[in-house]
Amino acid sequence: MTLTGWESVFFWIFSIAAIFAGLLTVMARNTIHSALFLISSLVSVAALFILLQAEFIAGVQILVYVGGVMVLFLFVIMLVNVGSEERGNEEIFNRPRQVTASVIFCALLVAVLIGALNTGYAGFERRDESKIHEAAEGRRTRDQDLAKSATGSSRITNDTSRIGNSLYRFASLPFEIASVLLLVAIIGSVMLARTLKQEASVDDVDPDVLRAEAAVDPELAEVQTKPLA
Amino acid sequence: MFTLFIPALVLLFQEANAGPFAVAWQKAQHPDLSKFLVIGALLFIIGVAGVLTRRNIIVIFMSIELILNAANLNFVAMSRYLQDTGNVNAVAGQIFTVFVIVVAAAEAAIGLGIVIALYRNKETILIDEIDILKW
Repeated sequence: MTLTGWESVFFWIFSIAAIFAGLLTVMARNTIHSALFLISSLVSVAALFILLQAEFIAGVQILVYVGGVMVLFLFVIMLVNVGSEERGNEEIFNRPRQVTASVIFCALLVAVLIGALNTGYAGFERRDESKIHEAAEGRRTRDQDLAKSATGSSRITNDTSRIGNSLYRFASLPFEIASVLLLVAIIGSVMLARTLKQEASVDDVDPDVLRAEAAVDPELAEVQTKPLA
Repeated sequence: MFTLFIPALVLLFQEANAGPFAVAWQKAQHPDLSKFLVIGALLFIIGVAGVLTRRNIIVIFMSIELILNAANLNFVAMSRYLQDTGNVNAVAGQIFTVFVIVVAAAEAAIGLGIVIALYRNKETILIDEIDILKW
């Protein structure tokens, strides 16, 4: 798996974009800016997925992350008040000593990871060198056999159908469990975000709590359909 | 002066063609698995630094998304490498990535629900002011 020509140019563009956008996500003062930088980082990583010929994952990344999760983030940022942080009245990082300690820790982690990756990959390469060269040749001939797309300028791969097949053949149980997980997440987040008034209107509040709260806010007792004992 | 400048440049390039810099340049023109893994590692570290240093809980959640995304990049790069070297079920990495994205979406929904409930009760989203679990 070696990229050549324009692919390597795009690799450097998108990887540098992903890392810079990631850094700015962590460092931006305005939370909305953070979210927008995270979106651009995620899109850059999706482009890297395309370079790795994982088109389906790139599509899922953009649809789910950028179209779903990040919109949720932006809505929550608008619902909570982050104004004092944005205006500079509030420190955005932890205390200086904590920040220094964690930055030193992260720098050590970077040094160790990159050192280990380079030596480890050298061993990988020695083991698989002939296979890598064969694969590069094989892919070139295989690409010629693929069906042409409608415009004729590119070819259609069958990678997505292979992922779908494997998803049902090897991972059908995790797939079903994931659907249960999503259901639990939907119900859980709806339950968590309810207000006391909404809870009272479906008779879902502890009577003692409700009595204490209704003393402050009489409206609460009114929305309760069951009368307070 | 210009005539002196050109031989110096030529000398510099000759030097650069042989040294370790030239090897690095050659490698940079052909990014392979190790480059993708390094990018994944850097994104992961940025995410870890964000979790450890920021005070705003929403930015901490975003940093967690960054960490998960770095893991996804590693999964997909490895899956690509295994496809090329003809090993085992080579799209397993991409299937893992789908599940990681599902779990990340569920985690974000629940986490942001907790943030809204917290903000309603405590009027803050700065983690050092949320200390109700401390005794």
